[in-house]
Amino acid sequence: MLSARHVRLLGLDFGSTTSSALLAEARLGGHSVSGRMGFAEPRVLYRSPPVFTPFNGDGLDEPRLTALLDGWLRDCGLEDEPPFAGAALVTGLAAQQRNVATLTRLIEARIGDNLMATADDPGLESWLAFMGNCGLLSRAHPGQPILNLDIGGGTSNPALGLDGNVLACGCHFIGARHWRFAPGSYRLQGCSEQGQALLEHLGIACRAGDELSTGDVERLVGWQVSALEALVSGDAAFFATPIGRLHEQLPLRLPELPCAPAITFSGGVGELIYAYLEGAPWPATSAFGDLGIDLAQAILASPLLGAGPHLLPQTRGRATVQGLTLHSCEVSGSSLYLPDARVLPLRDLPIIARLPLTASSASLASALDLARYRPQGACLQLLGASPSLAALRQFAEYLRAALQQRPLPAGQPLVLLLEANVGKTLGHYASDWGRLPQCLLVVDEIPPRAAQFIHIGRPHQQMVPVSFFGLE
Amino acid sequence: MRALTPLEQIVLPSPQPPQTYSSEMLQRRFSFHGLKQLLGAADISKAGERMAGLAAADEVEREAARAILSGLSLQHLHDHPLTNAHGQIDSVMRVNYQIDRAVFAEIAALSLGELKDRLLASKGAEIRRIGTALTGVMAAALAKLCDVHELILLAKRLKSGAAARARTQVGLPGTLSSRLQPNHPTDNLAGISLLVYTGLSMGAGDALIGLNPAIDTVDNISATLHHLDKLRRETGAPTQVCVLSHIKTQLACLERGAPVEIMFQSLAGTERTLTDEFDVTVELLDHAYARMAADGPLGDSAEHVMYFETGQGSELTYGKHEGIDMATCEALCYGLARRYSPFMVNNVTGFIGPETHLDNFEMIYSCLQDHFMGKLLGLPMGMAPCFTLHSQVSAEGQQMATELLAAAGANFFMDVYLGNDRMLAYFDTSGHDDQTLREVHDLRPAPEYLQWALTRGIFSEDENAQLQRGPNWGKPEQFCHSELDYQRLLESVPAAYGFTNAGPRPANRVARTLRGNQAVARQAIYADLRPDELGFAANGLPAPRYLTTRAQNREAHLGNPELGAQLSADAQATLVAEHTDVQVVISDGLSAEAVHHNMSDLLPVLFDGLASRALNLGQSIIAPYGRVKLAEAIGEAVQTRLVIMLIGERPGGDALASRSLSAYLAYRLETASQAEAAGFSGNPQIAWEYTVISNIYRAGLPPLEAGSVIAEKALQILAHGAAGNRLEHLLKQRAA
Repeated sequence: MLSARHVRLLGLDFGSTTSSALLAEARLGGHSVSGRMGFAEPRVLYRSPPVFTPFNGDGLDEPRLTALLDGWLRDCGLEDEPPFAGAALVTGLAAQQRNVATLTRLIEARIGDNLMATADDPGLESWLAFMGNCGLLSRAHPGQPILNLDIGGGTSNPALGLDGNVLACGCHFIGARHWRFAPGSYRLQGCSEQGQALLEHLGIACRAGDELSTGDVERLVGWQVSALEALVSGDAAFFATPIGRLHEQLPLRLPELPCAPAITFSGGVGELIYAYLEGAPWPATSAFGDLGIDLAQAILASPLLGAGPHLLPQTRGRATVQGLTLHSCEVSGSSLYLPDARVLPLRDLPIIARLPLTASSASLASALDLARYRPQGACLQLLGASPSLAALRQFAEYLRAALQQRPLPAGQPLVLLLEANVGKTLGHYASDWGRLPQCLLVVDEIPPRAAQFIHIGRPHQQMVPVSFFGLE
Repeated sequence: MRALTPLEQIVLPSPQPPQTYSSEMLQRRFSFHGLKQLLGAADISKAGERMAGLAAADEVEREAARAILSGLSLQHLHDHPLTNAHGQIDSVMRVNYQIDRAVFAEIAALSLGELKDRLLASKGAEIRRIGTALTGVMAAALAKLCDVHELILLAKRLKSGAAARARTQVGLPGTLSSRLQPNHPTDNLAGISLLVYTGLSMGAGDALIGLNPAIDTVDNISATLHHLDKLRRETGAPTQVCVLSHIKTQLACLERGAPVEIMFQSLAGTERTLTDEFDVTVELLDHAYARMAADGPLGDSAEHVMYFETGQGSELTYGKHEGIDMATCEALCYGLARRYSPFMVNNVTGFIGPETHLDNFEMIYSCLQDHFMGKLLGLPMGMAPCFTLHSQVSAEGQQMATELLAAAGANFFMDVYLGNDRMLAYFDTSGHDDQTLREVHDLRPAPEYLQWALTRGIFSEDENAQLQRGPNWGKPEQFCHSELDYQRLLESVPAAYGFTNAGPRPANRVARTLRGNQAVARQAIYADLRPDELGFAANGLPAPRYLTTRAQNREAHLGNPELGAQLSADAQATLVAEHTDVQVVISDGLSAEAVHHNMSDLLPVLFDGLASRALNLGQSIIAPYGRVKLAEAIGEAVQTRLVIMLIGERPGGDALASRSLSAYLAYRLETASQAEAAGFSGNPQIAWEYTVISNIYRAGLPPLEAGSVIAEKALQILAHGAAGNRLEHLLKQRAA
């Protein structure tokens, strides 16, 4: 029933508390507003029930993770036909585990050619949560800034967006699971580094096995709500203290805004907030073995966090996995310069420079010098939405001359990432219409993103997926 | 649903040799050789008849023809069937003779003039009864004798009894229905949903929700049918759904269990057009009708399940009209449609362009003729007076047509959002127009639909039981689950100009944007090609040469597409065999602005690409007033291997898209490649293969990028000795 333009997309989210998978199907097509290629008419094919992220006493529980991953792939029907694109993200406290690299290797070994897998990428997580929860909402309310607080077990990932674009991201160790309890009680079973530090900072003497008093719980969540209020109000001083610094992984730098932002929530705590607002009763005390319920209640009691326009976001809960599935990659234009598609996929390609198409030959030569030290390949991000023919020819001439003078090693890919729809023309000029013996690819119609790495998947209908990670 | 009369049981006259009809008027003698010429001359002068040589030279000749026609008896018309080129009665004409013989016996001796007078003095039921005894040719002949008042008056009397029933009953007196046409350029289901919601919120779609698909595959049509059915069920709107794909595709969808509630097909008035161009036979139509009666989802409950579209001029533009004028061909379609007791017949006169209907007068008059002829032959006629920007028909003319047709009692109009169909690049009536006409002419939707719309608040009734727009009229979001659902749908409709209304009309801001875009797009057609702006000199490219086509001016170019496909005699004389590899040809086609806006970026890249290989290039050619097939005329003359024809596309309603250029890469098949191409295509005569690169403009494929896309494709064509699907097949084989 589907055309060849339909593709499958997979998102895997391994968080501090829970992990989940989402498989969607979408059609590759031009977006009617942006004009850019993207995914249209998404349809969820499979949504896993959230499961507790498998930890053992010493880190991530590898055998259980392997079983979990294989089970998802089987349930998604992806064992024989991998997805077109997607991403796996290990976040929060899961990303802090010593053996986190094992998890990304497990994913890469199974579907790494098609899926970007990365851990501890807080900017990306915030960006994805915003897009998953508020992308559509933000476009529906042009001119209204929206600050999304994605509050999970280990981190809160704020992202501010306007008109569907993310303007600022942050990441803070504010979350429900910094203290773990026996479910149904406040009997402490363990805590994170930040959790321990906050107990000490607040003068709460409590060890594993002790029962936390109601007052202590209020002080802990009270501090976290103050931290969230500091984020919303742009109070950088709050995080300048020793205890504040310990809770800040990526500062949120709010720009000047035309009006107060609307605040939305996502993540496990966000899910609790919206469920309550829609009439569901609160779950029993520490039903999830953490302070998520207490934190949700405290957030709702905060005048500051409840201020501003009341907008109801899309997912209200698992926004990251939604974002991972549908927003983790950009789709290129269909007229690429791709002389040999067999070079794809290209994984973990570093973005070595971001240059305007009017860059000097010296700037370009410097960037190419960096590329020479990247045997797996490198990427140059070229800025400029509508270059002239003269600029294209000039840039191509600089590039061709530099590569003729000092060629890259045979087979070493050099990817040019372009915002403008001129990839084939730039590629032809730069390669002297295919006569320059270099592994050059030009991928166009990719909006610029401040990131450190990209992943380029295999082509489908002359288009390729490009995922960014290591967001700056 | 009634059983069909077997085709072999239809009583036919024997074909007769053409007779010459003569008369004298004001001391001028007029002769018409054969009934076809007489019928052609008796009509108003229309572009299509002028091109076919059928139009009267002047008003006096026309009246002379009408006078002769008035004196011919119905028996004479019956006994002189219009035959095909072999002197035979074709299958469409055969079906037209399926008439009520008893009624015919009553009226056979009447002259056409007498019949007209009798009809004008009759009531609706009697007119309808007489209509059952008429063939399409008789109805057309009668229409040519009627003036505007008579066409409207007679049709109006036929409104009572012109209704047809599927899930709703459409065409009752006092009603005006609409077919909601939620076309989307990519069949995007979200976009389709929004357009359906918008139409329903305006009280449209009570006749049908009917989509013209962009992709005519069984998979896509089935999926789209299921989607429309889902929307119908979810909204609860009492109506029926249809996807207007080819009848064979719909039959395959029906086989799969898709909800083919109404079976659609375009009809033609000659067998050659019907079979060669529409790939349909009367036998296939009979089969589809029988299948719908047996297996159609509404087969048990509906009285009518077929939907036909027609429009004056299709037979003529395909060159398969058998010498018959457009109005008569149209009436022959109705004679064919009548066999299947359709639920709807929709007339889209104006869709083709200036080669059939040049201006408002020609389009309006033809619409009135068609509506009258269809109703007279007993059909539930709906009307879609429409236009393309390369004709001289305007929005005002189209609106005048709708007012007259509403007065004449048309069963339904179309609802294309804001009248601008981006998928088919033409302009039709809108939901705003339909509601305005209801308010002007005091008409209501179909009764079943009206009850639903009243409960939804789309309509309300005041204390005097007068129907009003209700509080939810024009609010598509009422059908969405949430604000975000509505936003998601909004993002799926390209360049929608807005959804705000002023009473039953679009808000002025919306109207100004719409009309502004239309004006810019139309201007592109009428702009002269300015060779100095193409960038040859500025980019250091060799100066081009200039050739003329047989279209000596724009009027001829727009009015007769054939002329632009051929070189003028002078141009032909200047060309000799050059035996080049590539010949670039530039023509304005239907948008000189497309050429102006793209060429200076495109050409240098294209020539750089071609120069990268040792190719023998011909001196570029600029040929104003050209059509795509001009590539072949030039290619044969200069004996080049590949013609790259850069030509402006027919503008739709979007200002930017009016700058859209296409590149037709026409590969001239040599002996060896011809055999392979013939085998691949199944056409033993194939002489050219084409690869098309379209949508070249700033917001589509930008000209800077298009230059290298075209160059790369040209090099592939020359390297593989193939173009079009065969080239892509070879490239795929190679990649595998």
